[in-house]
This record gives sequence, structure tokens and C-alpha cells, in this order.
Amino acid sequence: MIWMSWRQFRAQAVVGAVALAVVAAYLLWLGLDVRDAHDGYLAQCRPLGDCTEALARFARDYENTLLYLAALLALLPAVVGMFWGAPLIARELESGTHRLVWNQSVTRRRWLLVKLLVVGLGAVLAAGAASLLLTWAAAPVDAVAGNRFSTIVFGARDLAPVAAAGFAFVLGTVIGLLTRRTLPAMALTALAVVVLQFAVPNLVRPHLMPPVRADRAMTEQAINEARGLGSITNSATVRGLSVPGAWVTDVSELRTRDGRTLDRRAFDDCFSAREDPADPATGQYGAAARCLGALDLHVELAYQPNHRYWPFQFLESGLYLLAAGLLTLFGLWRIRRRVT
Amino acid sequence: MPSDDFPPVLLAEGLTKRYGNRTALTDCHLTVPRGRVVGLVGPNGAGKSTLLQLACGLIAPTSGTLRVLGAPPAADAAHLARVGFVAQDTPVYPTFTVAEHLRMGARLNPGWDQRLAERRIAQVGLHPGQRAGGLSGGQRAQLALTVAAAKRPELLILDEPAAALDPLARDGFLASLMEFVAELDASAVLSSHLLGDVARVCDHLIVLAGSRVQLTGAVADLLAAHHRVLAPRGGLDRMPAGVELVGSRPDGRYDRAVVRAARLRPEPSWTVEPVDLEELVLAYLTCAAGTPAAGVPIPAREALR
Repeated sequence: MIWMSWRQFRAQAVVGAVALAVVAAYLLWLGLDVRDAHDGYLAQCRPLGDCTEALARFARDYENTLLYLAALLALLPAVVGMFWGAPLIARELESGTHRLVWNQSVTRRRWLLVKLLVVGLGAVLAAGAASLLLTWAAAPVDAVAGNRFSTIVFGARDLAPVAAAGFAFVLGTVIGLLTRRTLPAMALTALAVVVLQFAVPNLVRPHLMPPVRADRAMTEQAINEARGLGSITNSATVRGLSVPGAWVTDVSELRTRDGRTLDRRAFDDCFSAREDPADPATGQYGAAARCLGALDLHVELAYQPNHRYWPFQFLESGLYLLAAGLLTLFGLWRIRRRVT
Repeated sequence: MPSDDFPPVLLAEGLTKRYGNRTALTDCHLTVPRGRVVGLVGPNGAGKSTLLQLACGLIAPTSGTLRVLGAPPAADAAHLARVGFVAQDTPVYPTFTVAEHLRMGARLNPGWDQRLAERRIAQVGLHPGQRAGGLSGGQRAQLALTVAAAKRPELLILDEPAAALDPLARDGFLASLMEFVAELDASAVLSSHLLGDVARVCDHLIVLAGSRVQLTGAVADLLAAHHRVLAPRGGLDRMPAGVELVGSRPDGRYDRAVVRAARLRPEPSWTVEPVDLEELVLAYLTCAAGTPAAGVPIPAREALR
């Protein structure tokens, strides 16, 4: 059965290996380039005694490239689910060959289990290699930027993308078992995995451990450090507040001293506040920031400290593997009951 | 009587299969002893494929039971090893070579007989290096049959294996099948709507029509119990006791009928002849086509009148 699974997977494995080789070569080159740049910046700044500015520039140089690569790695589970998972059973059902192979002396459950293990191992190895290389290539930048716990970067480092790929593969297989047709299974799998790749970092991951909560006074200076004011729904919020050494998962609405949410009219009024010509406001939000700062406002921040990075990696990977295990059990139950 | 040591090849009791509202098989009772080559005949949509897919465990019955070689179909790996199945349109893996199909058989079947498989492949003129995707229909059927037979099953099930083949390929396929049955000392069940094929290779018959079993038994017994009768017009209106009219049609100045009787004492005006298998089956199928639609629960024997 192992030979059979491998023989059927061979062509897809070759395509995957070629694609992986290209990506791996690029990541190797990038990793060496990153290290050269790191050494170069350090050599320049060391004699001056202060490397903060130089290292910040170094991190900025690679920020975009690494974000693109993180997005690419986030696509890998969808690709694995689509091209390795979805056709695994759907193509057999579509072409009728299940009637040939299910009448050999191997039970359907064993057939499915071995196929899942063989191809799933391939998926995990491919994702593991890609994640390992990207994590290695980005390590000097991550060390400087300190942002590996942020929403996008976290999902493209270490274990998390490997577990996601394994899960997506099993999901694709089970969707194929249910739809019995390859193309719809591929489309559904791609959709489901993309939705999950959005939902998990934003809706699930922040709650894997209870966040630390802290109160922050929103002075004029604090408001001017935020990335945005207000929201599409026009609520009294500030966006993009950061906590050093932590991943901020939630920021409450602006609250007055007595803990009540700031009245929206008061918030709006501040946006039409007039500039004081005698003492012009200098921050990015100008008079609005000064007006809000004068209201003695607070926000409650929820955040996950960076030292929880590895517990989170294990928790998220564990969740993916648990889900993959449950899907496998469902598939084994389903394939015995059905199916023509 | 079937003993526990040699349970029947097929034993169906009240076997029923529905797909949504459509009933594919209604209340089937069947006993097929070992060592037979069973022909399963009936028009398209009669439930032949359904019965065979139930027998190899690809689908599960809605109600009733079916036991194959004394156990539920596809009960476990050991039971799967005892039943070989060639599905309709004989599916093979198009990207596999002929040799890889044999390798698959060897890997997935503990009782695989590689020498038998290789000998058969050579006999029917298949090259081991050929891709299965490029084989003709007849070659593909031979390959599928070889894969099913080389695991040395006790029972071979074939679902319309020769339906799509030209006469020459069909002839070769049926010859192969009979050689396998003889060599493996196996039983076989094959469905077909080609009565000539069935008459050629089968010694046991199941007639399915309108989702019901219309007739079943050993071919020799059935031929002995049925007779062709030529009688003047109107001469068949009254049947003697113990004689049952299966079907009749006008033939010139005569009525030509198939009757069932254990010991026939004919009317003086009748000419009685032995009936052949095709005529017998056609009489039952014609008769079934005139009976009420499937789904009305009438006992099978009554449906024959």
C-alpha cells in the first residue's frame, strides 16, 4: 500500500520538489544576503558606538521582502490542500478506479490511512523545509525587529506553517471524499483554507492564552504615536498602539476617567477643533490630538508578551494537528459507510 | 443444503436497495451454491449492477441481508482476498503500466499469483511496459480480469465486463474467464444483457427485471422444467393442472408458448419441444415487462403469471 500510495503521488511529488528547490535556492541566497547586510551595517556603526539607527535601517531594508515571503508561505497550505489533498480520493471516485483498488485485499480504511500518511508526510516535509529556510533566512532581521510574534510573521515561522499545511492537506482530502469531484473539491479547499488562514490569526490565536491587560493614559503624545484614529464604523477608537516586547491583540474604545466609553459626539467635536495659532499642535493628528489629550482619556490594551511565542507556536500547531486528527477519523468513518 | 463448511456463494434474504425514491432492488431472495458460473441477466436498469456492487461491498443494502461466502460483503481484508471484482467499464489506472498493475496486485493481495498473472498477460498479448491508458477496450478488460483473478479468489464477480467489447474481444474475454474459473476452481457471477454470452458460459441463472428476481436456478434444472409449446390458436387458453404459462405469442397459425411444468402431460393438440435458454429468458423478461411497476409488493412467483 505504501508503494501504491507513492506511485500515485510520484508525479505530484516531483512537481512539488521542483518548486520547493527553486524556493529553497532563493531562501538560501536571501539568508546569506541578510547576513552580509547585517555584518555590513554593524561594521559601519560599531566605531561610532551606537548601532540602534543602523540596525533599524537594516530591518527596514528587508521588511517588505520578508512580508511577501510570509504571505507566500501562508499560501502553501492552500496549495497543498488543493493539489495534493483534494484529488487524493476525488480523482479515484471520479475515474471509477476506486472500484478497482477497493477490491484488492486491503480495507478502505487502511487504504485511506496509508495514503493520508504517505502524502501527508510529503506535505509536512515540504512545508517544514520551506518554513525552516525562511525562519533561518529571516533570523537576523527578526532579532532586530522583534516582531516575530506579530500576526503575519508568526504564521510563517517555525512550526505553525507546517501544522497548517498538514491540516490543509487532510481537509482537502476529506472535502474530496465528500464532493467526489476533483475540481469542486479543489475550489472548496482553496476557499476554506484561505478563510482559515484569515480567521485563525485574527479570531483564534489571540485567545489561545488569556491576554495581559493594561491601562494606558491617552495623552496628546500617546495619541500622536497611534497609527490611526477612529474607524469605519466611526467609533471612538485609536488603532495601531504598540507595547514594547508584546503582540497587542485588542485595544478598547477610548474611555473617560470614570471608565465609560467616550461619547461619540465629544470624539467628533475634537476632529473639528480649531488650531491655536499661538501654540500650534505639532503631532500627526494636530489639534484633534491635543483636544482628545485634554479629555484625560484611557484605553485598555490586551496583549501577549513575546516570551509566549513558543507556547503559542505549540498551542496553534497542536490545534491544527488535533483538527487534522479529527478530520482523519471522520474520513475513516465516512469511507466505510458510503460511497458510490 | 448449505452447510457451515461450504456456505453458499451468495445468500440474499429480503435484500432491498433504494436510491432516494428509486428502488433498484426489491426484496430479493437468492441462494447460489458454490462451483457455479452464474449468469445475471435482465434489461438495463433491472438492478444487475446494484446486486453485484452489493455483493462486493461497494454499496450497502437499504434493508435485508446479503452474505457472500458466508460473511457480509467486504467484511475485512481476509474476506476481500476471497472475492475478485471486475467493475463495469473495467477501470484501470491510466498512468500505470501493465507491469505496475501486476505490482499493485502483488503489493495489495497476500495470495497474489505472479506467475499466473504474467502468463495470462503474455497469452493475451499485453506488453508489460505498455501504459494502461493506451490499451484498447478488450485489452483493458483482459488486464482488469487478470488483476482480479491473480489474487486467486474463491469468487469472481464481473459487472457487464464484455458489454463494450467487439465480438472478437468478447470471445477472447469469455475464453479467458472460463480458463481462470477452471484453473482457480472458483465460482463466478457475471452480469450481462447479452443472452448469447450467458448461454455460452453459465450453468446457473438469475433473471432480474423491474428490480425483482424473476427466476433463479441451475440452467439444466430450468431447461428441464420448461418447455416450448406450439398450439393452435386458442389452444393455450386453458392450462392443464400443474402447467404454468410463462409467456406466449402468435406464430403463424399457431401460438408459441413457454410453459413451466415439472412433469408435462400435454394436451393432444400441442406440439412440445425443448426450450433454449434465450427463449426461456426472453419469455420471463417479456412477462415481467407487462407486470405492474416495481415497488408494489407482490411475491415473485405471482409476478410470473
